[in-house]
Amino acid sequence: MGLKVEKVEKSFIGKKAVDQISFEIQKPGVFGLLGTNGAGKTTTIRMILGIITKDKGNITWNDKEVIRKHVNFGYMPEERGVYPKSKIQDQLMYFAELKGMKKEEAKKAIDYWAKKLEIEEYLQMPAEKLSKGNQQKVQFAIAVMHDPELIILDEPFSGLDPVNTELLKNIILELVEKKKYIIMSSHQMTSIEEFCTDILILDRGKTILQGNLRKIKESYQDKTLEITVDHPIDEILKKCGFEQYHQVDQNYVIEMNEKSNPQELLKELIQSGSKVRKFEIKKPSLNDIFVEKVGEGK
Amino acid sequence: MRDLLTVAKFTMKEMVRRKSFLISNLIILVIIVIGFNVPNILNSFESTDSSEQQDTVLMIDETGMFASSVESLNQMEIGKKFEISEKQLSKEEISAKIESEEIDEAIIIKENENNIQIEYVVDSLGLSGTTTLYEEVFTELYKNIKLAQMGISPEQIITINEPIQMEVTETKEGSSGGMLFAMMMLCIVLFYAIYFCAYQVSASITTEKTSKIMETLVTSTTPRTIVLGKTLGIGLVGLGQVLVIALVAILSYKLFLPEGMLDGIFDIRMVTPKFAILTVIYFLLGYTLFAFLYALTGSTVSKPEDVQSANGPIAIVAIIGFYLAYFSMMNPTSEINTFASIFPISSPFSMPFRIIGNTASNFEIIISLVLLLLTIAVVANVAIKIYSSAILHYGTKLSIKDLFEIYREK
Repeated sequence: MGLKVEKVEKSFIGKKAVDQISFEIQKPGVFGLLGTNGAGKTTTIRMILGIITKDKGNITWNDKEVIRKHVNFGYMPEERGVYPKSKIQDQLMYFAELKGMKKEEAKKAIDYWAKKLEIEEYLQMPAEKLSKGNQQKVQFAIAVMHDPELIILDEPFSGLDPVNTELLKNIILELVEKKKYIIMSSHQMTSIEEFCTDILILDRGKTILQGNLRKIKESYQDKTLEITVDHPIDEILKKCGFEQYHQVDQNYVIEMNEKSNPQELLKELIQSGSKVRKFEIKKPSLNDIFVEKVGEGK
Repeated sequence: MRDLLTVAKFTMKEMVRRKSFLISNLIILVIIVIGFNVPNILNSFESTDSSEQQDTVLMIDETGMFASSVESLNQMEIGKKFEISEKQLSKEEISAKIESEEIDEAIIIKENENNIQIEYVVDSLGLSGTTTLYEEVFTELYKNIKLAQMGISPEQIITINEPIQMEVTETKEGSSGGMLFAMMMLCIVLFYAIYFCAYQVSASITTEKTSKIMETLVTSTTPRTIVLGKTLGIGLVGLGQVLVIALVAILSYKLFLPEGMLDGIFDIRMVTPKFAILTVIYFLLGYTLFAFLYALTGSTVSKPEDVQSANGPIAIVAIIGFYLAYFSMMNPTSEINTFASIFPISSPFSMPFRIIGNTASNFEIIISLVLLLLTIAVVANVAIKIYSSAILHYGTKLSIKDLFEIYREK
């Protein structure tokens, strides 16, 4: 069970937008499709959903073509859009009916998602009267209200305020618990890092890194050391060979390298009588990995 | 099929809920009702005039023949009040009376050998046409007075004056004669109905593109369903509009227009069920043809300011079709009229009037319908293919070369 993308290619006016991309999503969870602007994320998604035709390769869901007949999918495109003059309730009902829901079933789903996304009060209003953030939540409702098994969210958090970002994150976590297959595309790594089990990083149409996020991170050496103490420790850091660091008050963020020995530093700090409030060895973030990998390609 | 009806239903709802739609239709209906009431409105003004502000015409009769005719003149509903002058007045005296607004105009009747001569004195003639009216009225009166003097009884005079009955038979088959004006008007109405309904398809697609809802829509149903659903929805609204307008026009005709007012211009008996049904069919097919063409152009633009230029070529095609039908209508049995009624871009505007004029054979009607249907099938096929690729194109308007490339790729 799952989605299989094999050696997919797409060119526009002789320029390759997507070049030999392959990946599989075999288990429910969030798959991160990452890349800079124009890397080919949206083109890949559009090919998966058959909005545009691929030049080469195969895309299947349980060995069948990804069409509504074979897979119940929901899609929130990057291009945010609603019918400006229509009432939100009518628009939601329209898309629910197009996705095969019966009227009563659709009404229940609309009420459920309107409540969950906190847009109940706007249901009888024309979309043009809603803020961009609320319009985005309406689009999210359109993508999920028919209870799809495969959900594709293209840049779901861009344009949302922190409160609504948190609201959407919690809903996505609930969808993961409900065993949904989710593809999430983004160029903002920090916003989706906490969800992804597997990732694929695209750069100018080519795959530059892919696999299980935890394993990828483990393959990277420890990157930074964060220490919070009650008085300056510059002397001790120099003694232990930590030259690259920056300090704000008593918080130190120290760059690590192959020769770094954090255990020896901790021993020295305790022996000096410093009160160590925080001592954390950090792996590189997804953002760090992304910047490094994209940087390598240039 | 379910999706098609859902798209059609939503499109209809979107269209009829717009304030501009409601207001423009209301204005059309009000204009129709007012239009059919023009004679009544004019009459009401005239009747007010006759009771309050009737012009006074002073008659200076040097012959002494017309004194007894003043009463008959006032009963003729000329809209003037005739008075006979007790004494002979000079022109200066008459002018002074007109200037002082004692009278509005004057008529001096003089002897002239074996006839009479009338001099009409008025401050300004304007465009009223009163001179001809007076000439006719006084000629008639003079003739009657002379006949009476010859001993002819009033009853005999009425019999002599009875207008002759005239009947016209056109030997050229299907000549519509006096109906031409009404047919031309109907042709214009049919053209506008088809053209503007079809234009709505383009407007609806452009709205979906500019509001960026398109991607959500094409992943919810197929592009084919969207185009067909939209065409169906807008077509049904358009048909409803046309039927409501026709109904209001017929009701206004029956309720407000004095009987026989349109005789010679339009004979309602010529609106046979065959004509009515085929006109509706031609309206729907004509609309469908232009709707698909507009679906194609609507999908190629992403900015509202590009809509006009993208739709330009379709407007030219429609206008060529319309003029072909319009001008060939004047000669209904000509070959160019036969061509216009069969050629698909002009047949929806032309064939209904060959049917009403009874100049089209059933074979020609069938050929015309088949050709129109085939053209619709070809245009629909091309439009849907291009639409499904062009709808996700944002940025500059697609050129004809781009569209050709898209069609080839598909």
